[in-house]
Order: sequence, then C-alpha cells, then structure tokens
Amino acid sequence: MMNKSNIPEVGANFAEGEQGKWGMVIDRDLCTGCQACVAACSMENNVAFVGEEDSGYGRSMHWIRIERFWEGEYPEVKMTSQQPVLCQQCGHAPCEPVCPPFAAVHSQAEQLNLQVYNRCVGTRYCANNCPYQVRVFNWRDYTDDRLDPALVTLKNQYNPDVTVRRRGVMEKCTFCIQRIHKAQDKAKSEGREVADGEFTTACAQACPANAITFGRVDNPESLVSQLAGQNRGSKLLEELGTLPQVTYLNGG
Amino acid sequence: MSKNFSRRDFLKLAGVGAATTAVLTGCGPASKYVTRQQYLEMPEYNYNGQSTYYATTCRECAAACGLVVRTMQGRALKVDGTANHPVNFGKTCARGQAALHGLYNPDRVTDPVQRTARGGDATTIMGWDAAVQTVADALKNNQPSEIAFLMGMAPDHLFDLVTDLAKTTGINAPVRFGALGAFESRTTLSKASEVVFGQASIPFFDMGGADVVFSFGANFLETWLSPVAYTRGFSNMRRANHTKQRGYFVQFEPRMSQTAAKADEWIPVVPGTEGLVALAIGKLAAEARGVSMPRAFAGVDAADVAVRSGVKLETLERLAGMFANSASALAVPGGAALGQSNGLGTAEAVLTLNALADNLGKPGGVSFSPVSPLNDEYHRPASMKEMQDFIQQMAAGKFKVLFVHGVNPAFELPASLDFAGASANVGQIISFSTFPDETALLADYVFPDHHSLESWGYQRAATGAAQSVLSGAQPVVSPYFNTRSTVDVLLAAAQLAGGDFATALPFADEYEFIQNKVSVLVGEAGGLFSAPDLPTFIAYFQQHGGWWKTEAGFVTPSAPDALNRNINVSEAQFAGEGEFVLLPFVSPTLGEAGANKPWLQELADPTTTVMWNTWVEINPVTAHELGLENDDVVKIVSEAGELEVPVYLYPAIRPDVIAIPFGQGHTAYGRYAAGRGANPAKLMGPHFNEAGDIAFAGMKVKLEKTGRQQFLSRLESRMGVYGEGMGEEH
Repeated sequence: MMNKSNIPEVGANFAEGEQGKWGMVIDRDLCTGCQACVAACSMENNVAFVGEEDSGYGRSMHWIRIERFWEGEYPEVKMTSQQPVLCQQCGHAPCEPVCPPFAAVHSQAEQLNLQVYNRCVGTRYCANNCPYQVRVFNWRDYTDDRLDPALVTLKNQYNPDVTVRRRGVMEKCTFCIQRIHKAQDKAKSEGREVADGEFTTACAQACPANAITFGRVDNPESLVSQLAGQNRGSKLLEELGTLPQVTYLNGG
Repeated sequence: MSKNFSRRDFLKLAGVGAATTAVLTGCGPASKYVTRQQYLEMPEYNYNGQSTYYATTCRECAAACGLVVRTMQGRALKVDGTANHPVNFGKTCARGQAALHGLYNPDRVTDPVQRTARGGDATTIMGWDAAVQTVADALKNNQPSEIAFLMGMAPDHLFDLVTDLAKTTGINAPVRFGALGAFESRTTLSKASEVVFGQASIPFFDMGGADVVFSFGANFLETWLSPVAYTRGFSNMRRANHTKQRGYFVQFEPRMSQTAAKADEWIPVVPGTEGLVALAIGKLAAEARGVSMPRAFAGVDAADVAVRSGVKLETLERLAGMFANSASALAVPGGAALGQSNGLGTAEAVLTLNALADNLGKPGGVSFSPVSPLNDEYHRPASMKEMQDFIQQMAAGKFKVLFVHGVNPAFELPASLDFAGASANVGQIISFSTFPDETALLADYVFPDHHSLESWGYQRAATGAAQSVLSGAQPVVSPYFNTRSTVDVLLAAAQLAGGDFATALPFADEYEFIQNKVSVLVGEAGGLFSAPDLPTFIAYFQQHGGWWKTEAGFVTPSAPDALNRNINVSEAQFAGEGEFVLLPFVSPTLGEAGANKPWLQELADPTTTVMWNTWVEINPVTAHELGLENDDVVKIVSEAGELEVPVYLYPAIRPDVIAIPFGQGHTAYGRYAAGRGANPAKLMGPHFNEAGDIAFAGMKVKLEKTGRQQFLSRLESRMGVYGEGMGEEH
C-alpha cells in the first residue's frame, strides 16, 4: 500500500496510524472557492502581496490556495470540487530532513511543522521537496516600506503576533500557531484545558460555508475527529507516507 | 451616553453576559467624547500587548454583516464576523476581510480639498470650517429643487438623515444606486415579487431547508444580495444530517459561474431563454405531479422550449420530475437571467415555480425577509432607468448642486448614460468620497468621510436574516487622516444655513442623531436585549453590534392566484450586432469597489484564477476556430463602445457567449486600481427590461483580433494545469 522507501525513517514523529495533535477537516462538498479563507489568512499572518508581475511568475505568497480542476469538455464539462490546500502539517514531513540550517523543524510540543525564519537561509530545498507546493518564498522585500511607500500606511494592519518576513526567507502556513498559543495561555491562566472549538484558525473562522474545521485530532470527542472519522475522508498524497494532518471530505 | 461615563458604569456594562464581554461598548477609545490622551495614561482596560475588540457593521457591500474588529493600541488588525449576528453568524467574505486595506489604503483622500479644474488631479487643501461653510452655502444659496443627493446602498443612517432633510426642506429625495444592485436586477426581482406575491420586496430563498434548488442565473455564492447568508444557506442545504438528505442544486446559466461550479448540474441555456425553461419545467412538473394544469404553464410547448433553449427535452423532463417529486423544491431567479429584455417575465416564471412547489412561507421555501427596525417597508435602490432619468435631469441643468456619497457613478454606470458629460451641467459637485475615485475627480470639492471602520452608523439588513435586524456601526479606531463624518458635516452645515435646514436637523452631532433614531427601540419587546433608558440601550447596541429580534419574522407571501395568471416570457431582444452574446458579471473577489485593495487584487478569481487584471472568457473550441489563444488581446465591439482585453480560454461557457468580469478598469481610485484592466460598463448600451433594470446580459458584440498579447497573472499556471481540458492540446 505505502511505499516509504524514498523517505528516511529518521524524522518520523509518529507512526502510521497514530495521530498528531492539531488537525483540520476540509469539506470539499461545501467549499465554494470564495477566497475568504485566503484573504483571512493573509490578513492574520502578515502575508505579503507581490503585485501583478511577480504573481504572474508564480511568486505570490498565498499560504492557502484554492485548487480547482476541469473534467471533460463542453457541454459535459465539470469543475472538480474546490479544494483549499495549505500546509498539511505532515507527521513525517519531507521538507524537514532536507533543510541544512534546521529552519524547517518539527515542534514536539504542538506536532506542527515549524519554519524558523531567522534560521532560514533561503536554500529552498524544503519547497522543492514539499509534495503539496505550499511553501512560498520571499523573492523580494515585499514588506519593506523603504522600498514601497504604500506600506507606510498599510503596515498599520500587521498582526503584532506574527513575524514580518523579509527577502530570502521561506514561509508557510503555521496552523495559526499564534492563536494556538494564545488559547493555551488563556486556558493555563484559568487552570483548565483548551476546550474544543474555543478558538480556530483564521481560515476556518472566516469560511462562510463552514467547510473548514480545526481542532485536536488526538481527542476522539472533538468535532474535527468526528468529521474525519466519517467514511468520506481522504488525505492528499497519503501514499507518500507523509502523514498529513488535513483530512478532505469528498462530495456527495 | 453622558459625557461623564464613570469607570464603574463601564465595568457594569462590560460585565453583561459572559459571551459578549470581549466586545467592548462604545466607552472605549472609540467613544465619541473621549479625547486622545498620552500613551502613559492609557485606559485601564487597554493593556500593552492585549487586544480590544469592537463590534461594528461591514460596509464593503450593503448586506449589513456584523463585524468584530480586533484592535491593538489604536490600530485595527483583523476583521472577523460577529458570532451571533443574524446575517452572517461569525462569518465574512473576502471583501469584508480586506476592509482593512481600505482603512489603511495609502491613497485615501486625506484632507478636504477644492479641485482646481474638474477632471484634474490638482487640488488645494481647505480647512474643515471652510468645507462646512461651502456645504452650507450650497444648501442656502440654491432653491431646494436644485439640490440633489446621489448615495450608495450603505450606510443607512446617512440616507435616513438626508431623507429627513428632504422631507422638511423640499430638496430632492436622495437617490440611491449601486452597481451590485444593478447586476442583481433588484428592481426586476422586487417588481416580479409584487406581481406574483403582491409585495414589492426582495424575497428570501431558504436554501438551507430545501432538498432541490433550481437557480436561474442567481450568483448567490458570489455577490448576490447577501452572499455570506446565502453561502450559509447553501452549506446547510448540502449538509446531510439525520433530519434531511443532501440537497441537490441545479444552475441554469450560459456561463459556469463560481456558483454554477458548485452545482450538481450546470445547464448552459441559451441566454434569454431562462424564463421559458422555468415555464417548461413548471408544465412538466405539474404533469408529473398529476395536478390540473395551472394556467401559468398551460400555454407552454416544452418541445419548442427545448429547441429554443438548447436544453434537451429529456433533460427538462428529468429535472421537472426531480422538482415535482421533491418534498421541498426551491426556484431562485437572479442576476443575469433578469438582466434581459424579457427579465421581468423570467422573474415571474421562476417565482411562480415556487407557488407550484407549494413552498411559500415554509422552511426551504420562499418568504419575505422581515422589515428592519426603523423602516416601514423595503426601499429598493434606483433602477438603471431611474438613473437615466436622473442623469437627464443633470444634463438639463436641473441641479445646481449635487452631493455624492458612497457610490462611484462615473465608474459604475454604463458609459452610454454619460454621467461625466451630464455632470458638466451641474453647477457644483461635492463628493464625500473616502477614496479619490472617478466621481471625486469630477467634483469641485471632496470632503472625505471617515472610512467605515472609523464611523458611527447603522445599516438595515434588507434580506439574508431570519429576524428583523438593525446592524450597528461604531468606530474601531480613531480617524487616521483629517477626515470628517459626512453626517457631522451636514449637521453643522444645516445649522449654518439656518431656516428649514436648521430645524430639520437639530442635532449636535452624528452620535446624537443616531441616538435619536434608535431611541424608538428602547423598551421594544422581543429584542436581543432590552434597556430601560437610552444610554443603556446605546451601550448594549454598540456592544452587540446592533439590535435584532430574537424570533424569526418571515412574512408568508400571499399568492392565491399565482398559478392562475398568464405569464408572458417574450423572446429576448439583443441590442447591437455580432456573433457573441456578452455576459458581464461582477468579479466575485473584487465586487463593485474592491479594486483598490491590494489583497483583493492578489486573490485568484475562483473560476479562472486570474489575479490583478480583466480577461474575456471564450469557449476554447470557438477560440481555436478564430485562431485565438490564451493571453491574445482582442477588441470587443458593442454598439455602445469597445474594449481591449486578453483572452482566457474558459472551458465552461457556451460557444456563442463571451463573459467579462466587472470591477476593474479604473482610471482613478488609487494606485492599486488605476490603469488596470478594463471596465465592461463601457460596452453597455441604454437598454432596459420592463422593470427598468438594465438589460446588461442582452448585448451582441463582435470580436476583433489586435495581434497583441498580454500575459495574465494566473495562480493555476504554477499548479501545472495547462493542457488537459483547457483546449491547449488542439
């Protein structure tokens, strides 16, 4: 079933069949492709816009994108269900073992793929090795207001909880780790555990169709576990043995 | 609220209801009467590194979604939905999310200015005193009949103020317009609703409870009426649970829109035959049910409709059977299907299908949204025909002064109506625009209003919510630039102008005006909260982001004769000549006014994935017959104008139709919008349907090659989907 021969066992953080910690369920049947998640993610995570020319070269920095494909030809043409693709927070992540300065590392505490911006030297090996194409690279200084005076006003919106990245740095979805930490801190100060649904990621919070659900996959009672347990779930490229933490629900 | 609002009172209020304590009342830094203080004297509830959240109302369109905005140290950081707001229940669309790029837009109008010459960039900065005096003089020195207001579909409190002013002083009643309303054919829908259901209003289509939804061109997942509310309805319809099965959704339209892409079936009908298809489905469904044939459908020849609409008779029969056998079927008329010469008949035919399905007033059926508080009935925006009349009055020199707020007619109206030309005959044009848009360029003065997130106000939810909703707005941050609330400018100017103007608006400021308006709700039963007095009510109003009833207030349409009327769907007339029918549609990501927000520009269009530009969609087979490839620039020639746009080979559009998004093609409106893409409003001729909406989808156009290429930025190219299915292999 699975051929993991190309991926070394070193770096696997949990075995196949086990669960990570945080996970997401995305219902393809509900996603309308409206881009609200993309906008919400960008506003939450200080994701830079790159302009028409650079985006035409494929340098746009979306941490989450909505894929859609075509099947058939007119008039029997059909658009496949829209599918938001973001970092799958692999339990066995191909990006991690190839990073020379250990900028792509695994968080033992949160079971997430971290990207340590001040370690990153821009080799881009991680993006080359990511089968989901969800890592984006800062080809220019898109956030420097000395280079783009428009940012003098626009940067007022930047989220102070999230690092502003500069040229030469790889970045990607973090499952809104700043929100995870904030919820954990709040729960800890109140002497309790983080409740299911107490907080969510920016994309899930915005989604008008409620297609995205985020939570603890290691808690069988959580909504995300319940949804993932339905028999219409699948994971992207799971035959690669990457142990992705995002489950996609099929239509119908 | 009193000027001396004590900390103890504040804490009392802030402690009301555990679920809402995170959202502060208007007593925070946003409060009207709090002055700026030194950083060292920060309010006690405002900690370094801690966020403060304010509830307000989104004004990126007129749907009145509730927002909670996260702020920190005087900056707005993130927009999200208000969790229990009846319109959006905590959700937002992409345009709402990007509202902050309007707030912190580098190209806002920063000060009140006088323009040196109309159309030019050169301006001189004025003080606000001089600006208020200018407005006062404009009111005082002209006959009331020579004063006109042109306003957008939001905000409602300003509209109410000007309406009150008009009633007392005899100035022209404010005219409201928005391109979204025109593309939604709101007038046609409202008129058809009057004809079929006896009430001129916007019907609410309860998708969430329906088993089968037939949509005739309604793009309800994009921009239609209240897109977040309808997306929720769609989501509930699609979700199977123990009480209902997964709903089945069929979309009839010539081009697969983002909404049609989500449909279980997309039926590419010949443009202008949507009404005939609805009638044929009605007839076949009535036959399938074995009921006596209603008069509305009796005269229809389904086989003839099949030929004319390009939908096979078997398909019509199958769909009619599905409609007839469903426990809860719903038919929705929308947008482009009504923007045809026969749009009114089409709307009537589709609404009548609901009478056949017997879903009126039932869950999963058609109802009327409850009328908002502070409103007697639904007030629709002006139709395009009414805008044409308005512009003719401008051209005839009837108006000595024109005030413009919240709308950009020089961009949004069809060029053939010649707003710019008519504006030359208006003595004085005063714009209150927040942004330097095309209309502001035609104005003698621009007295910039605050951005909506810096503003007080309220907005009525015209549709989308089950309850009667008045959504409240409060500033989430202090004004960033030297702007002033238009309500405050008008109040001050009215006092200076004296006479009727002063008596019409006896309010010290905007806050007092809003208090006065909502005061009728104090003590009103059945609401989200009740309060014994106005200050308490206002505090709750700001804390919750509005006031709404707790019970659903749908009104059941009364349609005893709906099935027994004759419905006349005439043959659609197409203006102009050419081999293609042009289908303009509103860009789902940009809407009518999103082009100046860089993150909206960088969002991939949901169907084509194009960013930052305008394209024309052509069926790949047709394109190859014409020798056109992706990114070839073509000239589209209509009877009203021409436009040069790059080609996008779109696999899901009829071969005889081309489609172009509306939203780009600005000549002004800031650095991210100006000089980018093309505006299909240039192609639209002044042709209307029977209700007075523009027949925007009823144009024939020609295509001419230019021999040039312009490469569109598309997200999909990097995902490697060129080739398969895109016609590239031919």
